Amino acid sequence: MNIIIPDSGRIEVLGRSMDENMKTEIGYLPEDRGFYPKMRLREQLLFLAALKGLRPAQARQTVDLWLERFDLVDWRTKKTEELSRGMQQKAQFIATILHDPRLIILDEPFSGLDPVNTKLFKDVMLEMRDRGATIIFSTHRMEQVEMICDEICLINKAEKVLEGSLKKIKQQYGKNTVVLEYEGDAGFVREFPGIAKLDDYGRYMEIQLEESIDPQELLKLVTGKLRVGRFEVKEPTLNAIFIDKVGGSHA
Amino acid sequence: MRKILAVVKREYLQIVRTKGFIIGTVLGPVFMSLMLVVPIVLSVITVEEQETIAVIDASGEVLPGLERKLNDVRLKDGTLRYTLEEHRLTDDLGGLRERLNQKVLSKELSAYLFLPADIVSGGEAEFVSEHVSDFEKTQDIRRALNSVVIEKRLKGESIDPQLVSRLIMPVPLSTHKVTTRGVEEDTGGTFLVSYFLVLILYMTLIFYGQAVMRGVIEEKTSRVVEIVLSSMKPYQLMAGKIVGIAAVGFTQYAIWTLFGIALATKGRALASSAFPQMDSFQIPTIPPYVFFYFVIYFVLGYFLYSTIFAAVGSMVNNEKEAQQLMMPVIMMLVIPLLLIMFVMRSPSSSMSVGLSLFPFFAPMLMLLRVCILLPPFTQILGSIVLLVAAILAMIWLSGKIYRVGILMYGKPPRLPEILKWLRYR
Repeated sequence: MNIIIPDSGRIEVLGRSMDENMKTEIGYLPEDRGFYPKMRLREQLLFLAALKGLRPAQARQTVDLWLERFDLVDWRTKKTEELSRGMQQKAQFIATILHDPRLIILDEPFSGLDPVNTKLFKDVMLEMRDRGATIIFSTHRMEQVEMICDEICLINKAEKVLEGSLKKIKQQYGKNTVVLEYEGDAGFVREFPGIAKLDDYGRYMEIQLEESIDPQELLKLVTGKLRVGRFEVKEPTLNAIFIDKVGGSHA
Repeated sequence: MRKILAVVKREYLQIVRTKGFIIGTVLGPVFMSLMLVVPIVLSVITVEEQETIAVIDASGEVLPGLERKLNDVRLKDGTLRYTLEEHRLTDDLGGLRERLNQKVLSKELSAYLFLPADIVSGGEAEFVSEHVSDFEKTQDIRRALNSVVIEKRLKGESIDPQLVSRLIMPVPLSTHKVTTRGVEEDTGGTFLVSYFLVLILYMTLIFYGQAVMRGVIEEKTSRVVEIVLSSMKPYQLMAGKIVGIAAVGFTQYAIWTLFGIALATKGRALASSAFPQMDSFQIPTIPPYVFFYFVIYFVLGYFLYSTIFAAVGSMVNNEKEAQQLMMPVIMMLVIPLLLIMFVMRSPSSSMSVGLSLFPFFAPMLMLLRVCILLPPFTQILGSIVLLVAAILAMIWLSGKIYRVGILMYGKPPRLPEILKWLRYR
């Protein structure tokens, strides 16, 4: 927002140094919904569009288009304080992208959304990506990251813990993770030698094996003792990587 | 610039369309005219009734004269206002007074009057009633009693009371003021108009200043400011808000002025037909330049105070916290209000000149001086120049505070922190 000035160095965005004009190229969705509570939805969006430099006619067209897409047409004359949280979230999202920014920054975009709207958000985000926009978003939900992201950056207590392309990071962690879906008492699995890490969710278990261990050994152990719903050898989930990287410092 | 205009437009439309604005704009003048008209009407139609007053005349020589004098006081239908009821002095004065006290309490009598034996030579008369807040009544009694007793005293010295009253007739003194347009009679109209204009200025400065502050707080608590500032600079938002609310102020003034003109042309005829007494009330003429300066000082004063109010709003999280920080700002507006009387009595003293040049007081005090007697143009210009300088300084100062404060949540900052904000580049 060009408000906090760097202590040292300089800020570059989209290959140019950050200045006031760059603001029209950026769309920002803050974590807390921010609207004028007494203003009507459509007016509000038109106002925010004008601030992004859209001409009135163009603004009306874009706003109406997005209201349609996000199924908010019936609420366009309602005051924003009367809208539900989900609707406010959708409206906020419209405000973020209506000027077709080249850089989109989303802070927890999926919080408070039902699955239908989550899909809608995801679809629009991917559309924007295909049109050449760069999207940065923060989230705590690792499965969303796995579905959407190309590159990730994991930050813990203001320190960068992990950065790079999602693919490469997963490769680094090796292909030695076993996902086990089961019924029965699985306490004995812990006794198996060569387990580097084990997360038991009750009916589902994520086991990271040491490099030298063949997952087939584990499969032999569990067959007959448990009803196995699924036994999969795969890359570790981001969830596991997150817990591995951050878990220690949280405990 | 387009962004600032968008903010101006939003502020203006959002406020002008609220019920509060419509009600305030329409009811404001209605309320104000009621404040003017109601006391006048009430004084004309006060409830009057006949009253019985008992008199104990220990001197035995005042009552007949008193009765004659009070017979002159009539109700509107021509009947006597006061009926006097004589009570002879008995040996048991205490008992008599006790009985009369009871009668007053039981409302048989509205009051009683005790006249001592030595009343003509300076004794003290007593008026006893359930309440003595009816000044008109005590005034009637006092006047009648005075004239009867003084007449007696004069006669005692063989002086003709008529002669005396002719000799001590007061000298008529009318007040005029000399202006560049000549000499005009002024019976206190200037005083009323000046007071009224300064009061309006005071109220609108506070009102619109606080409107700016509330707007800033609203943006902050609803967090919309983060969205808006991702599109524009803080100073653009602040400027847009201040200008937008100023536009609201002008709309309101315009409506009020139209209303005032309508009232002055139509209302006067209406009023005098209903209450002929009002004819004697002269509406003072206000020279046009007063309005000109009123607008100038309103605009300058508004910009000065609203920037400060905007900074205050940016520092706090809710209006409750704002109350405390607002105090010094309000004080700056109240002080000139308290100085009105002083400046009116000596508008050209060096003290008055100095006070009216001080930027925070200038809008109200210089306007006051313009109303009373047009000060030298150099002084007016001086106050305007100083005001503009102060506004620029305040914009710079408030802009810095605003820029940081608007995105700060939590405890309101203390002075050292604010000073630190000022050093941020």
